[in-house]
Amino acid sequence: MTGFRLQQAALTVGGQAVLHDLDITIRPGERVALLGESGAGKTTLLRALREQQPNCIAWCPQQPGLVPVLSVFHNLYMGRLDQYATAYNLLNLIRPTPARRREVTALANRLGLGDQLWKPVEQLSGGQQSRINLGRALYQQRSIFIGDEPVSAIDERQGADLLALVCDLHETVVLALHNVDQALAHCNRIIGIRDGRVAFDSPSDQLTSADIKPLYPSDAS
Amino acid sequence: MNRITKTLCISVTALLAPAVLADTFVFTAIPDQDERRLTERFGKIADYLEQQLGVDVQYIPVKSYSAAVSAFRSDQVQMAWFGGLTGVQARQLVPGSQAIAQGVEDTAFTSYFIAHESTGLAPADALTDALRGKSFTFGSKGSTSGRLMPEFYLREQFGEAPETLFNRVGFSGDHSRTIALVESGAYDVGAVNYAVWDAGVEAGDIDTDAVQVIWETPAYPDYQWTIRGDADARFGDGFTQRVQQALLDMTDPDLLTAFPRSGFIPATNADYAPIEATAVTIGIMDAQ
Amino acid sequence: MTTRPLPRGTGAMRRTTGLFILLALLCLPWADIAVHTLAPGRELGRLAQGLLWPQWPTTRTLADAIASTLAFAFQGVALGAIAGFGLALLYRRRAVRWLAASLRAVHELFWALLFIQLFGLSALAGVLAIAVPYAGIFAKVYGELLEETDPAPRQALPANAGRLSSLMFTTLPQAWPNLAAYTRYRLECGIRSSAVLGFIGLPTLGYHLESLLRQGFYAEAAPFFYALLILIATQHRWCRGWMIPAMLLAALWWLPPVAPVNGALIWQFLTHDIVPAPLRSGMDALPWFMDLWQGQLWPGLINTLVLAMLSLVVMGLLGVMLFPTVSRLFGNRWTRGLSHGVLVILRSLPEYLLAFIALILLGPSMLPAIIALGLHNGAIIAHLIGQYSNTLVLRDDAARGLNRYFFEVLPRQFRLFLAFSLYRFETVIRETAILGMLGIPTLGFFIDSAFAEFRFDRAVMLLVASAVLNIAVDSFARRIRQRLHLQHKVQVC
Repeated sequence: MTGFRLQQAALTVGGQAVLHDLDITIRPGERVALLGESGAGKTTLLRALREQQPNCIAWCPQQPGLVPVLSVFHNLYMGRLDQYATAYNLLNLIRPTPARRREVTALANRLGLGDQLWKPVEQLSGGQQSRINLGRALYQQRSIFIGDEPVSAIDERQGADLLALVCDLHETVVLALHNVDQALAHCNRIIGIRDGRVAFDSPSDQLTSADIKPLYPSDAS
Repeated sequence: MNRITKTLCISVTALLAPAVLADTFVFTAIPDQDERRLTERFGKIADYLEQQLGVDVQYIPVKSYSAAVSAFRSDQVQMAWFGGLTGVQARQLVPGSQAIAQGVEDTAFTSYFIAHESTGLAPADALTDALRGKSFTFGSKGSTSGRLMPEFYLREQFGEAPETLFNRVGFSGDHSRTIALVESGAYDVGAVNYAVWDAGVEAGDIDTDAVQVIWETPAYPDYQWTIRGDADARFGDGFTQRVQQALLDMTDPDLLTAFPRSGFIPATNADYAPIEATAVTIGIMDAQ
Repeated sequence: MTTRPLPRGTGAMRRTTGLFILLALLCLPWADIAVHTLAPGRELGRLAQGLLWPQWPTTRTLADAIASTLAFAFQGVALGAIAGFGLALLYRRRAVRWLAASLRAVHELFWALLFIQLFGLSALAGVLAIAVPYAGIFAKVYGELLEETDPAPRQALPANAGRLSSLMFTTLPQAWPNLAAYTRYRLECGIRSSAVLGFIGLPTLGYHLESLLRQGFYAEAAPFFYALLILIATQHRWCRGWMIPAMLLAALWWLPPVAPVNGALIWQFLTHDIVPAPLRSGMDALPWFMDLWQGQLWPGLINTLVLAMLSLVVMGLLGVMLFPTVSRLFGNRWTRGLSHGVLVILRSLPEYLLAFIALILLGPSMLPAIIALGLHNGAIIAHLIGQYSNTLVLRDDAARGLNRYFFEVLPRQFRLFLAFSLYRFETVIRETAILGMLGIPTLGFFIDSAFAEFRFDRAVMLLVASAVLNIAVDSFARRIRQRLHLQHKVQVC
């Protein structure tokens, strides 16, 4: 696989430029965290990265985007819709096959959802839905993981476990995070975004809280 | 045919079961009177024809004059007891079909104009201007005696369309209903088949104090049996002729009251040329 | 934005309402409203007597008619739903939207008259007559329901998930409850449509109802009338879950949708019969068309519009007056129960049947049609607004009685009322056309005549005109809704 490369790029949303002068190269094996205020353009940047090689990416959007009436199993299974024939997908919609059932059960157990596998997701809590969202991306089994605040609705300890799992299972990881400590703990490179530009881009072990603080001017008080 | 299938056949669902009908000779009749009695009237005719022809014969009731023609056109029935106009329409839509028999009375059929007593209209030798501004009902839109000929004579007499002559023009659907509507005063005047009227008066079904005949049209040809041109090919050579003979041979008064006619005589398509010409004249048919 | 703000709020709503009432008043001189029976009271008495002391037909006849009514309804709605769903998937395309609009612009009775010419008086003709216009309606509503689903799950899928997989896993499960509810509602309409098809000869309940009512045999008609009423009023109780597929299979067994297909006949119909007569015989087309225009198209259009405008206003008045009778904000349990009963009856009966009864009672004029359309649609509006008014929470010291109605409730419900009424506009105009078959000279009257005269070229011409009118009214109503910002979602209206 290859990495990502943005050169002198400007990204727009609905015709309005959100990010300017982007020069970002992400090599295989890197674990990158994007930091910045909400509205800074992290999501836009992640989308642009996804578009570069959509078929190699496990994608975990900020909005869980689950189908409320379907079970946890089906929402997790959906991560692989592109990998099987349509007929096989429909078969699993009606009657899950043993092989997929085993795999998804194992994944659900790791997510702490083993007991809820056949419940419609609309009956689950927000935190549980967040985990399903993450699980669906994990089930894709890609080498690159792109996640937009994948653990923001999950309690900190479990969030940390799941981030570790994400880093374990994927060669390359790009995450938008708002928890600075999590970013420093799990990623080896941090990109700070402010005012529509890259404010800094450096290895995490060279950064301190003081470097990061200017990213969040509205927290100044 | 056993009794159960026979019952099934005269139910209104019968028409929708083509498989049953594959080798059955099916006929219908325009529903010109009380629809509840159609099956009673024509069921007996089916039995008679079955006996005479040696093939399964079935009568199926239809809802309207045009439904009778549609069924004939789509070969769901192979023969029908049509009125003058419906017969012309049917033979135009199904090339090769022919009129084979008509009632003795049908060579010189007439229509009655009937009026409610409140109009003060009295029987007369001609239609008068007293009709102007009254309300008027025909029978079915496709009826010869209830629409075509009355409209023809109205136009001939007054030189204008019924819609401008009367303050309201309606179509009752059949002759029994026309009589009922004029009898109740819902319409002032109506046009009706003379045979249905006479039979109704004889049976005492009509209140002749409330409604009476005010004019009778000149004679014209009316009802006839029409058979599809491909009947011989389907039921064997000479079949059409055998059907015609069976109809002409019908003498049982019990059967003939169904129509009601005193007997049947041969008929040809040419006998109905005047009807077709009239239909073109009053604009309910395109010249061929 | 620099454009001037759109008129909205109460002022614009009041103006629109006033405009509709004004238009209806302007229509009055052209409307033929008079009672023409000498003794409507006596006829009404006979009807009441007949309804109270019904005369039972053979069980076989009644059972046959009920089975056929359900069979046409289930098959027609099922086929319409499948075809409509297919169209809904392509609903973004303009051509598909136009196709769907034209299919639903022609009333099922007229489709039936057409299909009877093609397939004879057969099960197939009846099933298609329901399925074709319903496909057009389903395409629109399904299309909107699918579009309303949350796009997030679709976007979260892996990039190459196939279209079908994506539909089955994300869009369809989300839309399913709404699709199912709407389809069930349509099934109720299907039973009504199926009954009405009997009026032109298919062996449903309407077949017997029409014959018997027309000839004044009210006692014999009553059982068929009650059967239809019970069928529709209880439909939501028995028509659920596994009953639906079971009923569908039973319907296919009872009335296999087949027809004696006669290729030559169909070919002749399509290439000869519906071609305008002058084109066939090489005559000048202009006089033919002018004749049709002056004699039928123009008067038919005018009468259709006049009848629709008057019916719409009567419907609105009845709706506004009747909704408090079923609202929890007014009356007590007994008055509400009684009113519910009456509204259910009025909602359940097809307009065509109501008009037919009114015609027998009042004689031939536009009045029976206005009453029928007003009552049926007014009952639906009253029911819907009544339901919504139950969600209003009034303060404890709110006024009572008429003051409550005029100050607290009506102003709050008026926007909703206007939205529902405009949605009903298209339905009213559709039904207006078919009431012509009862003798009111709307477009439907002339269409019926053309079929009775076997002039299919004229029939098709008139059908196209009535379809164009329906589409025009629909888009007019939609534009007013947009102008007044009445984008309330009303699927069951």
